[in-house]
Amino acid sequence: MYSIVEHEVLAPRVHRLRVQAPVVAEKAKPGQFVILIIDEKGERVPFTISDWDSEAGTVDFVFIEVGKTTQQLATMQPGDQLLSFIGPLGRPAEVGQFGHVVSVLSGYGIAAMVPILKALKDNGNTLTTIVQAPDQDRLFGQKPLEELSDTLILALGTQGDGMMESTTVAMRKLLNQHPKRRIDRVIAMCSLCLMRVLSEMTRPYAIKTMVHLTPVMVDGTGMCGACRLSVGRTNRFACVHGPEFDGHEVDGWEVLMARRCTYADESILQQGFQCRGCSQW
Amino acid sequence: MTEEKGTKSAPAKKQKINLNRVEMPKQSEHERRHNFDEVALGYTWELAKEEASRCIQCKKRPCQQGCPVNIDIPDFIAALQREDVEEAARILKRKTSLPGVCGRVCPQELQCENACTLNKKGAPVAIGRLERFIADWERTQGAPTMPEMAPSTGKKVAVVGSGPSGLTVASDLAILGHQVVLFEALHVAGGVLMYGIPQFRLPKEIVQREVQYVQSLGVDLRLNTVIGINYSLDELLRTDYDAVYLAPGAGLPKFLGVPGENLNMVYSANEFLTRTNLMKAYRYPEYATPIKMGKKVAVIGGGNVAMDAARCAVRLGAQEVYVIYRRTRAEMPARLEEVENAEEEGIEFHFLCNPTAFLSDGRNNVAAMELIRMKLTEPDESGRRRPVPIPGSEYILDVDTVVVSLGTSPNPLIPSTTPDLNVTRWGTVVTDERGRTSKARVWAGGDIVSGGATVISAMGEGRIAAASMHEFLSNGQKKIIPPSPATDDPKTL
Repeated sequence: MYSIVEHEVLAPRVHRLRVQAPVVAEKAKPGQFVILIIDEKGERVPFTISDWDSEAGTVDFVFIEVGKTTQQLATMQPGDQLLSFIGPLGRPAEVGQFGHVVSVLSGYGIAAMVPILKALKDNGNTLTTIVQAPDQDRLFGQKPLEELSDTLILALGTQGDGMMESTTVAMRKLLNQHPKRRIDRVIAMCSLCLMRVLSEMTRPYAIKTMVHLTPVMVDGTGMCGACRLSVGRTNRFACVHGPEFDGHEVDGWEVLMARRCTYADESILQQGFQCRGCSQW
Repeated sequence: MTEEKGTKSAPAKKQKINLNRVEMPKQSEHERRHNFDEVALGYTWELAKEEASRCIQCKKRPCQQGCPVNIDIPDFIAALQREDVEEAARILKRKTSLPGVCGRVCPQELQCENACTLNKKGAPVAIGRLERFIADWERTQGAPTMPEMAPSTGKKVAVVGSGPSGLTVASDLAILGHQVVLFEALHVAGGVLMYGIPQFRLPKEIVQREVQYVQSLGVDLRLNTVIGINYSLDELLRTDYDAVYLAPGAGLPKFLGVPGENLNMVYSANEFLTRTNLMKAYRYPEYATPIKMGKKVAVIGGGNVAMDAARCAVRLGAQEVYVIYRRTRAEMPARLEEVENAEEEGIEFHFLCNPTAFLSDGRNNVAAMELIRMKLTEPDESGRRRPVPIPGSEYILDVDTVVVSLGTSPNPLIPSTTPDLNVTRWGTVVTDERGRTSKARVWAGGDIVSGGATVISAMGEGRIAAASMHEFLSNGQKKIIPPSPATDDPKTL
């Protein structure tokens, strides 16, 4: 069993859990994920690691309440136990010396990207970070991003007075300055639709764009094939070959989006998690 | 059936050979289409006694030689004939820790029962059913018989993977006095016995009972631990362990590589079966893992896994289930018994056809598939008749769910993190006849070596490797590097 040692509510329906899992913490690297099971009747659900402490033997992850399992997780308190916590799974993110790296974050990606940004910063990269959130109240984890980023752009509020800028507008502005203010790499950890749009935006500039893909997964170690997707015309499993992929190489985003939605049931739709214009919803 | 001449070929016994195999009761096909309970109900004590009495106890013991783990079959049947089930269980346990599993899923018709003297008359002793009876009797009525344990040798062994091969090696080495740590990547032990084989063919309680038995031998089971990630093979060898047995299985599903194969509602058999069996999706929402399935389900492939997937689909409520196989019924690798069960349950078989594309409903869900008719060639040098497509014979079949069951390839995780481990171009680990790999102190067996075979052959490889490992560990004082089929680097010691 794996003990929960901390539970923090970061924003409405957004939570951070810290779990005692020394074996996972020992090997964790930026961009990797865990698969957890709450109890005997629970499902296997993947979460990207947002922080870890190999000395204390703890691992953090951030999640948003969307379905049954995340709602159940939201009720768990320090001292409660998880049946299973497997990781670190997937390949670590590439964190080389690139130069100027622009990252685009939303949702759990705001927290899950932090270890990647830290490593990129340590490697001497210049970081521009664009964060999308529906409004100021639902923005969380701003502080570490401010500390790590050379430039932090908040794209808040797509509706109402609070609207400042949308992610794509911010990205467009940056791309207009390229190559004078050169962008060497884009990393996106946000909604599937947005990652797709960003990949198309950077393609004409041939700026390498990495996307973090989390299709439906069951075992997470390459056994079930649920998370397969086509990258560079080859079948890849997000759990072993990913979750970071070159966005310009991803084939068939529509199929990927459809697969992602296989198990999106009514309970999720009612909460307004639709991405506009998605053919599945 | 009546007795024929030829009693001469039977051993010099006066009793007449009984050629009436005792049938095992099954759930009716009507009933079982709607539940995941076990299909075959097992012998009663009366039926088991009657079947056991058919064994003529021939001197040559061909059945035992036909068994990959060399179970003392005539002896346990003799114990049944004496009505001593406890003794029968003890004899069985000498060679297998998983009798409840073997009695259910071994292809006995190709192994012990195929070799049985009575098979020449077409009615071999139902060895598998008797084995199952003894295991079930022990589980429900008797105390588990414990083997004699050797004193501790002070040697420590890591076994990677808790499927049939890993469980066999773990229990063999534990009985021989070695300290065994058994690593499992999933959250329960049993490997393919848990995620692959459905409840109605192999109840999970039985697998867990046998896992508990292996633990009762002192084996330290560590779940949720992925070797290749949490510990590399070299880390294991460098730290606590004197030797390692690799049995991580062949997890990676194969696909056809045709257009549309990634459409929504196209499953790999592994995903379909894992959701259903391991995660108990058939009891959703009581269990949180869902499974989405339409009304017309096509299963591609002709092996046991394809039969399992098709029969799960029936139970999950599919209206029509097709098995699509590119050869004919005669070439199907699935066990005959399971093919018959599938037919009884209303599954439709489409032979000599192969999918060439999957078609979308416009929203990226599968709506149909294009198939091409196949014919078999004349036998080639290997004696095999290969299936070849008949040009222009394409046709469309409406389906809303597809399960691709074309087999699996070895999981690359350990080889990819162990550069000095020799693998073939198919990704299987190279071993010699005693299970030794190219890497010192590392043995391997099961599907990572064979690429995908049966439970019992995985156990058989485990048994041989365990003996070889024991021999090596017993000579540990001399720090012997095991001779291996390929280059050996003594520095790794």
